[in-house]
Parts: sequence; C-alpha cells; structure tokens
Amino acid sequence: MAETGAATLVAAGERRGAHEGFGRRVARRFAQHRLALAGLLVIVALFLASALAPVLAPYDPNRVNPLERHQAPFSPSHLLGTDEVGRDVLSRLLYAGRVSLTVGFAAMIVTIVVGSLVGVVAAYYGGLVDTILMRLADVFLSFPTIYLLLVLAAFVRPSVLSITLIVGATAWMEVARIVRAQFLSIKAQDFVTAARALGASAPRIMLRELLPNGMAPIIVAATLNVANAILAESYISFLGYGIQPPQASWGIMLNNAQDFFTRAPWLAILPGVAITLAVLSFNFVGDGLRDALDPHQRRR
Amino acid sequence: MGRDRQVNALTDVLLGSEMTRRDAMKRAAALGLGAMALAGLPGGLLRSSAVGAQEGGELIVGSSQEAVNFNPVLYANTGIETLPEVLMFDSLMKLTPDGTYVANLAAEVPTAENGGVSGDGLTWTFKLRNDVKWHDGQPFTSRDVQFTWETIMNPSVAVRSRTGHDKVASVETPDEYTVVMKLKEPFAPFQTLWTSGVTGVIPAHILEQAADINTAPFNTAAPVGTGPFKFVEHVGGDHLTVERNPAYHGGPAKLERIIVKLVPEVPVLFSQFKTGEIDVVDYQGIQADRFEEAEGLADRVVVRKPSNFVEFIYFNNSLPQFQDKRVKQALYHATDTQTIIDTIYYGLENPTLTYLPPTHWAYNAEVKTYPYDLERAKALLDEAGFVPGDGGVREKDGVRLAFTMSTSAGNQLRESAQLILQQAYKDIGVEMTIDNRPASTLWTEDVPAGKFDTLMVAWDNAIQSDPDPTSRLHSSMIPVETGSGANYVQFKNAEADRLMEEGVRETDQAKRAEIYRQLQALLAEELPWAPIFNNVDKFGHKASLQGYRANPYLATNFDNAAEWTLTEE
Amino acid sequence: MNLEFLVRRLIQMIPLLIAISILGFSMMHLAPGGPLALYTLNPSVTAEDVARIEELWGLNEPLPVQYLTWASNMFTGDFGNSFRGGAEVRHLIVERIPATVELMGASYAIAILLGFAIGALGALRQYSIFDYLATTGALVTLSIPTFWFGLMVIFVFAEQLGWIPSGGYQSLGRGGGGLIDRLHHLVAPASVLGLVLTAQWSRYFRSSILDVTGQDYVRTAHAKGLRRGTVLRRHVLRNAILPIIALAGVQLPAVFSGALVAESVFGWAGMGRLFLDALTYRDYPVLMALLMITAFLVVIGNLLADIALGIADPKIRTG
Repeated sequence: MAETGAATLVAAGERRGAHEGFGRRVARRFAQHRLALAGLLVIVALFLASALAPVLAPYDPNRVNPLERHQAPFSPSHLLGTDEVGRDVLSRLLYAGRVSLTVGFAAMIVTIVVGSLVGVVAAYYGGLVDTILMRLADVFLSFPTIYLLLVLAAFVRPSVLSITLIVGATAWMEVARIVRAQFLSIKAQDFVTAARALGASAPRIMLRELLPNGMAPIIVAATLNVANAILAESYISFLGYGIQPPQASWGIMLNNAQDFFTRAPWLAILPGVAITLAVLSFNFVGDGLRDALDPHQRRR
Repeated sequence: MGRDRQVNALTDVLLGSEMTRRDAMKRAAALGLGAMALAGLPGGLLRSSAVGAQEGGELIVGSSQEAVNFNPVLYANTGIETLPEVLMFDSLMKLTPDGTYVANLAAEVPTAENGGVSGDGLTWTFKLRNDVKWHDGQPFTSRDVQFTWETIMNPSVAVRSRTGHDKVASVETPDEYTVVMKLKEPFAPFQTLWTSGVTGVIPAHILEQAADINTAPFNTAAPVGTGPFKFVEHVGGDHLTVERNPAYHGGPAKLERIIVKLVPEVPVLFSQFKTGEIDVVDYQGIQADRFEEAEGLADRVVVRKPSNFVEFIYFNNSLPQFQDKRVKQALYHATDTQTIIDTIYYGLENPTLTYLPPTHWAYNAEVKTYPYDLERAKALLDEAGFVPGDGGVREKDGVRLAFTMSTSAGNQLRESAQLILQQAYKDIGVEMTIDNRPASTLWTEDVPAGKFDTLMVAWDNAIQSDPDPTSRLHSSMIPVETGSGANYVQFKNAEADRLMEEGVRETDQAKRAEIYRQLQALLAEELPWAPIFNNVDKFGHKASLQGYRANPYLATNFDNAAEWTLTEE
Repeated sequence: MNLEFLVRRLIQMIPLLIAISILGFSMMHLAPGGPLALYTLNPSVTAEDVARIEELWGLNEPLPVQYLTWASNMFTGDFGNSFRGGAEVRHLIVERIPATVELMGASYAIAILLGFAIGALGALRQYSIFDYLATTGALVTLSIPTFWFGLMVIFVFAEQLGWIPSGGYQSLGRGGGGLIDRLHHLVAPASVLGLVLTAQWSRYFRSSILDVTGQDYVRTAHAKGLRRGTVLRRHVLRNAILPIIALAGVQLPAVFSGALVAESVFGWAGMGRLFLDALTYRDYPVLMALLMITAFLVVIGNLLADIALGIADPKIRTG
C-alpha cells in the first residue's frame, strides 16, 4: 500500500530558485494549513512521549505479571490496561513508539539518500546508465510493495536495522524520479553550463548547485515517506516478519493482539490508533508543506 | 501440587504390585480413564451413542491449520494431517484411549499367545481381514501392506521418516490375507508403528501406477483409503469435505458428511464455535485464555486431553556447569512448575514427573521428586562445591553457574515462564540469561549443532505414543557426535542405554512398562532434562454430538468418528 | 505503429521478468532456514531423513543449477510441485484465482463507482466543504493500516453486532455457498479494500476531471450554452474515462497488496493467503510462481494502461 500513498501525489514541481522571504512565506502558508499544524503538534507530542518513555512509562515495558493479565484500560494500576502476560500497555506503547518512529525516520533517510543518488547519477550520466537505473526503478515500482517487503523480511534476520533497510530499499523509486526530473530541468540551465565551462567537476556541480535547488519537492517526499515507512513497518510486523521480541513496535503489538482481539480489544485498538495518528500527522504535514512550497498554489 | 499427589496415589494403587499382562491392560485402562477424569473430562467418556441419536447429519470441524497432503506416508507431519488420515485411512491396528491395541485391518492383534509374534520377537505375522475394500471398490490385500512398507523404504520417495520401519528386514505376503514382517532386531515400538494415525496403509493398485509417487494426484486431490470416510473435495485454504463410506468394514459411519473448515485466525475460530458456525474445535483446540468462557457456554462440551507432548527444560549436558547432577537437581528444586502452570498456563496443563504424560501406560509416578524449595536448592549447590562469587553468582574451579535459556522468540507464555525461572535461579545464586531466537533457525540449525545452554521446549517421542525415547536419549543419537539422532541434551549413560535397548526388544507390554518405569526413575535422578508439565489439548464440541472422546495417543480425536452421532437439536 | 509499440513493450518485459526471477530465487535460497524446517520439528525425522529429502527435492545442488532447472521448467509452463504437500503449483494457484478475482473485482467496482462519484463532485465543486471533507477523508483513510481497519470491522460488525460473518468466503454445509451467502461474506472484505482504493482514486479522478474541464472544447461547450449535465455527460465523462481505465491498470500492484492484507485478515482463500502460507513454509516453488505471476500481471496491467492512454491521447501512442 505504501506505493500508493500520498508520495505519488507529489508533482515534480517546477524549479524555483531560493529568493528572499521564501522561508518566511512558506512558514506562513504552512501555518494557514490548520490540519498540517495539528499534525506537526501531534508529531512533536509523539516524539516527546517516545523520547521521554523512560520517564513517562509507569512500568518496565517488558515486565510480565501473569497475575495481572488482560486488565481492561482504566484499571486501578494500569491506565491503558495490560496484555496477555500482564505487561503494562501504556509503557509498551511509549517504548514501541520509539521503535516505530525510529524505523519511520531512518527508512526515510535511506529512501532519500538512495533515491537522490540514483536520480542524480541517472540524470547526470544519462544514456545507458539512465536507462538501466530507471528500468530498475520500474521493476521495483511494478511490484506489489507488500509482496516485496514480505519476501525481503522473511529471508533476513529481523532487527530494527534490517527492517529499516528493507523499508528504505522498497521506497526509493519515487524520490529517484523526482530528483532525476529536477536535475534534468536544471541541467539545461545557464548557470550549470557556466559552472561547467569554468571547469567545475561533476560531484562539485551536483552538490553545490543542483541539490539545494531541488530541495522543495524532496522535503515533501521525505515527510510523506516517513508516513509510508511507519505503515510499511506495521504491515511487516503484523504479518509476522517484524522485529523480534522483546523489542516491540506498534505493529508488533498489533500482531500480538491479533490472537486476543475479541477478548481484549484494547490491545488491538490502542496501537492501531497510535499508528494511524502518526501516519496521518505526517501525511497532513506533507500536504501542508506541498501547498506551502508549491509554486502553482503560490500564484493564486 | 494437589493434582500431583492425586496422580501419585492413583498410580500407587494401580501399579504397586506385580501384575499379569491382562491385569496390566485393565489397570492401564483404569489409569488412563482415571487420570483423564481427573483432568476434567466429561463423565460419559466412552458412551458411543445416546437416546435420540439419529443417523446422518453433517459435522463441521474448525481448525486453524490446514492439511494439504492426504497420503499418510508422505505428509510432512505438521500434526493436523492426522485428522484426515484417521478419517480416510486405516492401519493394521488402533491404539484406543485406554492404551490397548485393537485389530483394524488386521483380523487380530498379533501376540506371543496367538502365535502372531515369534518367541524371539523377530517375526510378526498379521492375519488380515478379507472383507475390506478400498474406496474405489478394489479389495484390500496383503500386497497393500507390503507396498506401504516398500514405499516408506523407497529411496526415491520423500517420506518424512523411516523410524521403526528401518528395523524391518523383510515384509512377505504368503497369501492375500497374511503379512509376515521380519525384524532385523527385536523392536517393540513396532506395534505402535502400525496403528491408525502413525502408519496408514496406502493402496498398491493405484500408487504402483503413479509416475512419481511424490507428486501423484492421489496425495492431494484424489486420496483413496479404506477408512470410514471417503474424500469428496479439498478447496485449498478453505475446507476439506469427506463423506460416509457405506462399505466400511467396521460398519458404515453414522454421520453422513464431515467438513473440516480452515479458520486461520484463532479468535475467529473461537467466535465461530460460539456462534455455532462450527460444531467441533479439534486439533489445536481452544485458546487457554478462552477455556473458562468455553466451559460456560450452553450446549457446548469442552474436553481436556493430555497430549503426547511434555514441556521441558533441556540442559546441554556437555557444558561444564552441568557436569554435577546436583546442579541440575538444585535448578529443578528452584523450578516452581505448579506456579508456572497456574499463573501462566491458566492451570490447564498437567503436572508430570517424567517425559511421559501421567496418563501414559508406562508412566512412573514414583520417581524422585523435586518440590519447589529454594533452601534445598542452595544446600545442593553448597554440597556440590559451588560457592557465591562475583555478583552473587556461584562458582567452582572457575566454572560460573551462568547460562542462557533459549526458546522460539515471540512465545510470550514461555517468556513469562523464563522470567519466573530467572528470578528463582538468581535467588539461589545462578545467573540465567534469556536468549530467545527466531524459530526458523533455533530448532533447525542451532539446537542440532549443540549451540545452546538450556532450552525451553515441548517434545514428544519418535513414534508418538510409544514410550521409547531412544532417539532423544541414547548415547548413539547425539547429532554433534554422530550426525544423527535427536539427543540434543547430549546425555550419555550406560545404564539408560541398556534400558532403552532392552525396552525396544521386549514385546510384552507389561514388562516393557516396567523397563520404562526404571528408565524414568533413573532420569529423575540424573536429570538430562527437567520436565515442567504435560501439554493438555483443549477441545470443544456441540452437546448434540455424541461419541466424541479424547484419545491421548493421537493429535486428533477423530479416530472413532465412525461412531459419532448428532442428536436432534 | 500501435503493434510495433506493443511488441517493443513486450520485449522490454523479458529482461525485467528475468531480473525479478533471479533476484527472488537467490534471495530465497540463500536465506537461513528452508522448506525442510517443517520436518526437523518432528523428533522422528532424523538428520539422514532430512538429507535424503533435500536430495530428492534437488535442494543440495548448486544454486545456479537449481535456478536453471527451475527457469527451464517455468519456460515450458511447468511451475513445479509444492514442497509442502507435493501438489502441482499450477493447480494450487489456479484454485485460488476465483476467490482473489472475486474480491479484487468487487473492490475495484466499489472504488471506481464511489471514487468517481466523490472525485467528480469534488472536481465540480472545487474548494467546497464537500471537496475539503473528501480530500481530508481520503487522507485519513490512507493513513489507517488496512489490516487494522479490517480487524476493527470484524470486531464491530461480526463480533459485536453479528451483522456479517467473521471470515471465509462462504458458509460451509447447511445449505451455505449460495449467491446471497457469498455476497454476505464478500461485503466486509470488499468494502475494506474498496474504501482504501476509493480514498486513493477519488483524488486521481478529481484531478483527471479537473484536467478535462479545463480543456478548450469543454469551455466551448459551456459557452455554446449547453446545459451543465449535458456537458458533463457528453464531454467530461467520456474523456475522463480512459485515464480511469489506465489508472485501474497502473494500480494493480496496490490492489494486489491490499488483497493480500484483506485475505489475511478475513480468512479469504485467495492468492494472497497462498503467498503468506508459502512464505511461512518456505515453499519456494509456490513463492516463485506467485512472484512471477504477479510481476507478469503487473507488467501487463501497465501495458494495458499505456494502451488505454494511447487511445485517449494519440500524442503518447508512441510511448
């Protein structure tokens, strides 16, 4: 499902050079997008909650206590209840958030790095290199993401690192296309030709001139990528190929809850709400950023 | 420990004196029954039909796993396959819930008395019934039995296991209804080998024609057996339908049709049991946490069945920490099995003192016991010379009493039990680290290679219900040394080897029971492993189903499905 | 021209499919654990037994040899036999196709009808409250993990209210399996998958219609004084429909992914569940076959999408 997420909606916008007041204007436009602002607040809250998990969590998230299992939320000693072996759900949600958000962010970085690299290389060298890389992107794009994710996840030892790499490895194509398009449109412009004529080397041109000029759509894609990565991780975990216990992510909590969801529905409801909240917030922020950065919108 | 004592008392009475073979059978029957009643089975265990029962009807069975290969010698044995096997196929004999062998395709159970088993225990002669027909109408003959064995031993057939069958030198068919099997050496579990659910007999006249038995349509799409039910259809991922075999040699089944429905999600399986969409929850059963609720359901009967599986702590006996048996004894004293059962397993599993379920005909309830006693544990460690060192961890001659315990990662119930053990062991100065690993590599790679300190694991014997543990305990079965076997605990004990060798040579069931009781006593002293409890399967069915009873020797209870009836609702 | 384009696209597919097959094959075979893990859990299965079965299945041969054997069989239409049960892979897959097609078809229908309605309304009343709610609602739907959505639907509508069956595609026995019964079972999974697709597609439809309404001929039609409804029917819908067909093709991977999740949650005996089972049991022949079939279908879907777009807009016919 990740490939169908909002990332695809990112139009490879027309290049617009940075100019005075741009940052402020973007901030103002973003702030007008109320849902995006709310999303940003939720993200900040989720991050703080996860970062402060050791302080906020009332219990050790892995402490089992079979005598207190399956307690419903708002029980005297467990605000959000307990799971099938008596672990405190609130504590687990806080710690699981760390894993889910870490994977989301780290996978986004992998995506951006790999995608940018592929895009720049394809556009810069063109010809056969371009064809091969873009075909490769097609291969990955033409594949149902879940199938790809599951096959990869089933055949490696699952850890935060491996899951991050897997999620990143299946999501770089969109960014690669955006970057390539950006690059090609810039490549033809005068200042690049000028830089070349002055004897600037290839990597120098790429880094100094091209990347900063094409940042806007990449930032939008990155935000939406975090959302998709969190979702992707939850799918892998839910289907049983996620990070190994005792470490837990929201997806792992859902996977565990599956066996009890009729008897102890809160175990399934709470992590699902957490995932949805996080993903939605990133999507709203991405939407807001796109509106704020989109030159078409600016004209209106 | 209350239940323990009850079992003890019961077995005291039953097995205390010397017995004749007949007595042993009777007593084993009583023990099986008694212990099962103890385990909370309904009273009318063996009632086959009740007033108001009617012929016909359709039974819908729910299962969270799916049988995909119906050839009894070819399926990979995931457990659920036993269900269609006992419905559609027969073996020479049946092992009934009370531990007695009864004839099925054989006309009588071979014994020394009736001349079926030779004096040296090497020749087994099976007289076959002459009125048995395959589902396609062809007669069943001795050739089919011979072919079944030949197929199992055929190097080009992907048979899951030849354990037991490889002890057979030849299978001869002097006439159409006689099979003579000659063993290379006396091997008593041989009898269990030819019972329903262990080795089903397959039709020679069909499979001899198959180009490749491994991929014959027979296995998956057109099985033909001699059993009480015939194959109708299997829709992958959804259901299997069988219907009554009107020509069944044991008399036609009362039920018209049985549908085995796959319900992959366990909570959904239970919901459908509650709503009546399914009539029976058999293999894999009811989740422990729903059992109490299930017991309270109107018009539903729940059944607890001691399985062949026992949950253990497996010690890696090659490690220096475990060389002194007093260390293991101390650990066992610090292992609060009853609390584990009660708090983690909802009090639904059965305590056991040995590697056999307490309901087993060879179970020994009089072995040395290790009641939960931390002081006793500490005293034993002192005695063994392990004294507290760094961080309170005991050590002796540079050997620290520290080890890891592994099991499949994600098994939360076991993880909870591990945490209980970890705490108790810490209290007696032993450091246990939990090192759970993915199931995909732990059991297939690490364990056979001896890459573990201790394990938490449930296992049954090689030939499910037979008490012979040779593959798991004999010194020739250590895979890191000999490349074969399942003696993962690396137990080496000459006396135990001798008892196991004797146990498979003895064909008299009562004498065998005595040998295995000795073995269990020895194991309780040496502790190559520490039994925690006997897994109890939890089944349920509609009250209108009559005749359903637990068979602790099989993974399923469908072996007497031919006798079941549905009363009017 | 059209034919040449088609042939070229088909030829381009081949290296793509080969690349996918090599990638998939080596990944599966190099990974720890394997299809024989199933056997090793059984104490009566010895190391010799495992070695014997490994040899019979050809799993001990060098990987390139195994791959070539598999590939040449594949080329002749022989997908091999499942390692779990020995059934013909072709049969296992064919058996599951109707269920998956039923689910995907129903979801497509829901998504196209609902998505089009929402998209069209949103486009015609751009920046209205409805448009705003539809866009936001779509984003919310896309942010919910589908499997969780499915679980919640089962919990509320099957467990709590008892309106729908809790799984499977038909009732078994007792006269189940009729059309009404099957529809009853189809409602929940098709709605869940359909709603997720609706959320995605309504946005595409909206922009697709906005594109068309911005075209000169539509403006002309309006200027000619044609009634709004007539313009919509005659010009806008007709010209927006082909991009929609194209979208249905391009979205095939997404629908496959969604179907896998829905099948898993709703106990639906389709290809997605077959894939999950094969993954659990490391059943390489089934996995490889499913991988190849999905890849093939997706490529074909893309191709059809291109053709549809080509017909809609002759400018891109040359690809």
